[in-house]
Amino acid sequence: MRPPRQQLEDALKSLRDPLLRYADVRYTATQNQHVRVRNGEVDTLTSTVDRAIGVRVLVGNGWGFAASSDTGEASLMRTAQRALEVAAASNLASSEKIVLSEVEPHVATWQSHFEKDPWSIPLERKIDHLLQATEPMRGDPRIHQASGDISSYRQEKIFASTIESYIEQTTTEMGGGIEALALHGDEFQRRTYPNPFGGDFQAAGWEFIERLDLAAKGSQIRDEVLALLAAPKAPGGRFDLIVGSSQLALQVHESCGHPTELDRALGLEISLAGGSFLQPPMLGEFRYGSDLVNIVADATVPKSIGSFAFDDDGVPAQRFPLIDRGIFVDYLTGRDTAPVIGRRSNGTVRAESAARIPIIRMTNINLEPGTTPLEEIIADTRRGIFVDTNKSWSIDDVRLNFQFGCEIAYEIDNGRLGRLLRNPVYGGTTPDFWRACDAVADRSSWQIWGVPNCGKGDPMQTMRVAHGAPAARFRKVEMF
Amino acid sequence: MSFDVIDRALEIAGGDEADANFISSDANITRFANSNIIQNMSEISAELTLRVVIDGATGVASTTSFQREDIAEMAAVAREAARHSLPIRDFTGLYRGGEPVPDLPTLHRTDITPAEKARALRTMFDRGREAGAHFAGSYGTGTSSVACGNSHGVRRECTFSVSEATVIAIRGDESGYATDISRRGVDILALGAEATEKATLRSGVHEKLEGENYDAIIEPPAIAEVLDWMNMIAFSGQSYEDGSSFFVDHLGKRVVGANFTLTDDAIDPEFLPFPFDMEGLPKRRVTLIENGIARTPVVDKAYADRLGVPPTASGWALGSPDHGSALHLSVAAGATTRDDLIRSTKRGIWVTRFNYVNGFLEPKTAMMTGTTRDGTFLIRDGEVAARLPNLRWTQSMVEAFSRIDGLARERRRTGTWSNPFGGTIAPAMKIRDWHFA
Repeated sequence: MRPPRQQLEDALKSLRDPLLRYADVRYTATQNQHVRVRNGEVDTLTSTVDRAIGVRVLVGNGWGFAASSDTGEASLMRTAQRALEVAAASNLASSEKIVLSEVEPHVATWQSHFEKDPWSIPLERKIDHLLQATEPMRGDPRIHQASGDISSYRQEKIFASTIESYIEQTTTEMGGGIEALALHGDEFQRRTYPNPFGGDFQAAGWEFIERLDLAAKGSQIRDEVLALLAAPKAPGGRFDLIVGSSQLALQVHESCGHPTELDRALGLEISLAGGSFLQPPMLGEFRYGSDLVNIVADATVPKSIGSFAFDDDGVPAQRFPLIDRGIFVDYLTGRDTAPVIGRRSNGTVRAESAARIPIIRMTNINLEPGTTPLEEIIADTRRGIFVDTNKSWSIDDVRLNFQFGCEIAYEIDNGRLGRLLRNPVYGGTTPDFWRACDAVADRSSWQIWGVPNCGKGDPMQTMRVAHGAPAARFRKVEMF
Repeated sequence: MSFDVIDRALEIAGGDEADANFISSDANITRFANSNIIQNMSEISAELTLRVVIDGATGVASTTSFQREDIAEMAAVAREAARHSLPIRDFTGLYRGGEPVPDLPTLHRTDITPAEKARALRTMFDRGREAGAHFAGSYGTGTSSVACGNSHGVRRECTFSVSEATVIAIRGDESGYATDISRRGVDILALGAEATEKATLRSGVHEKLEGENYDAIIEPPAIAEVLDWMNMIAFSGQSYEDGSSFFVDHLGKRVVGANFTLTDDAIDPEFLPFPFDMEGLPKRRVTLIENGIARTPVVDKAYADRLGVPPTASGWALGSPDHGSALHLSVAAGATTRDDLIRSTKRGIWVTRFNYVNGFLEPKTAMMTGTTRDGTFLIRDGEVAARLPNLRWTQSMVEAFSRIDGLARERRRTGTWSNPFGGTIAPAMKIRDWHFA
């Protein structure tokens, strides 16, 4: 169960090694509930409670980390000693000097805001909500699957460290969405609302699910997926491309969020997630995008699942630019990586739970809105294609060469949205793409999208991040 | 301990039927980069999952606390879920048992210590320095105990070890890759040597190519990545039921080339054997594609009932929406060698590994896209002529596996982060006209 403060501090005090430089201990209790209905029946109804403790130590230049799902006092003490043993092993094959950036001690309590507690809503109501939302999508024999998801998440986290920080944080989140899969002959189409892979997610309660108004969107999603079956294939060639907010959020995630993770740039994640084309000598110099491209990391956005008060190094949440008027100006950093480039941690280190090592993760990585309404951008486009809602994603190991597929596209002909097009796929290289950005829509099309499934690390850690994006136009993008 | 927890959960479960899993693990993973240990972790964990069936409807709950009151609380959550759920169509109930599990060799070996692992890595780092290379990767070892049981008296238990390592050797802009996963331990130094050989092969000789179709020699780790995707979009009970799998309407018919046979093989002692699935069904060799002919999707008990296909013992997580997953993908070997495949190629590309494959483009043809990494080579007149930059490709796997010109005798194991029980074992393949973009 939840260890009292004294137990956590006693565990830190029990760490006796003359070369001990730093230690922290974390406790997490993570609750997940997932309801999925599919073709009028409940397909998944799972509820999990996961408790863990983790102790991280820096001894000499070797990190050690140990974790346990047994959160009792005896286990906590054993775990602390195991962390020391692991650190001793690390020192056998670690020669690089580790410098930690400065951080002040903090004693704080924080929790995300919600109006209606997700766990106060009866399961029956969640199921009924999804059955009603998916009903309009059913009936046509070409629709093989009409499904809906509602997810509830809460993580209680305690952090204590040898610099006398003691921080308690609780995050409550909900997510939901609907999906229709249609099949006719060999043609298979998918359409989702508001986003694929479980929908959209916010640090909020049931009020967020009510605002999504899933039931009102069912018939639109049905009509679109059926229309896509018969729509012409999106053409290949170079086109002026207007990317909608949802898809552009994914583009920001893959082509800006990941390459600005400093651990990737330093080669620390190269074996699994990969490296980064953005290398430290490029800081402040490299033209990443056009002057219109401003991308910030902002862990303070209210109601977003990429927000928190302190990261898992105990560093306060911050807002800072990554791309400033097109120029690459900063990385996402942690205490042990920021000093490598002569900077202080900007507080982006997080772990999925106390059973995992904290690593650099995205927070809310947002493309700032421009000044032009989306309608005017479309009206200003003579011949182009509008795409939105991600269907497939692939990018190389340094985040340079990408190819993304979308659920839906529309032809743009003389400033007007025209025919529906299926299977749009576009690609390019990251800086060429962002340098071709010549219009960023205003705040009316800007939306923050919760992404609860960002994968990184080994063992793989799934992190909850978010991206704000408006629609934007990119000139002469290659479509396949 | 394991059956005690299972028994306690089933006793408290209530409902018409119930089944439970208890998985405890001691996992140790060492990550390294720039020839330094950068992360080193040891985790002891245990989790209990309970599924309760009431009037044909199910609810699933799990916990990491095993006191009687914690299990009772979890059981109440599962019962509440089942009561509010709807009956699963065509479900005839949980597995009734009565079949023996396969007699497999010992699956458990004594783990090596973090210090022993670190010393082995230091030796590998030192050897790399002599070759001008540094290393990144991970070296994991662990032991898990898995128990499952249900209210019909089925009880299964297994303790197994897994050792897995991935090594990238890096010299300047050139890199090479090697990986292995085994119940018996992996040879990290051999993997380091293999990765170094790939990183230094044709060093400094670089060429570029225009995008078009090339004959491709695809190594087992790359095959594993596309098969992982096919597991999701083509082999799972869910993809078959929703119509997106290319198996739909094609069972018993030729879907790929006659020289391609794929099984879900959890009983091969040379692979990653495991005796049962999490619903307690005994594992057996299940043929998914036999000489190019589609045979069956993989299913959990509920979808075996629904789809009317024989059970395949493929329920790996109670209540999982995939309704069956093939976690021991085994591609039948050929009769030649990888080097002979290269020698027989007039103009082609040799691929070590893929990066960030995505299989959602067009599931009905298993159209996928990805890039190559950590060792991509040009083959000219049967010789490895030059190193190539990483290349993007977009290719239907249905078409690719219909154009296999040769398969190697030697098969290699590859693990994946999402699969704690198995992996993929495959030979190198020569595939005609792979589309590089």
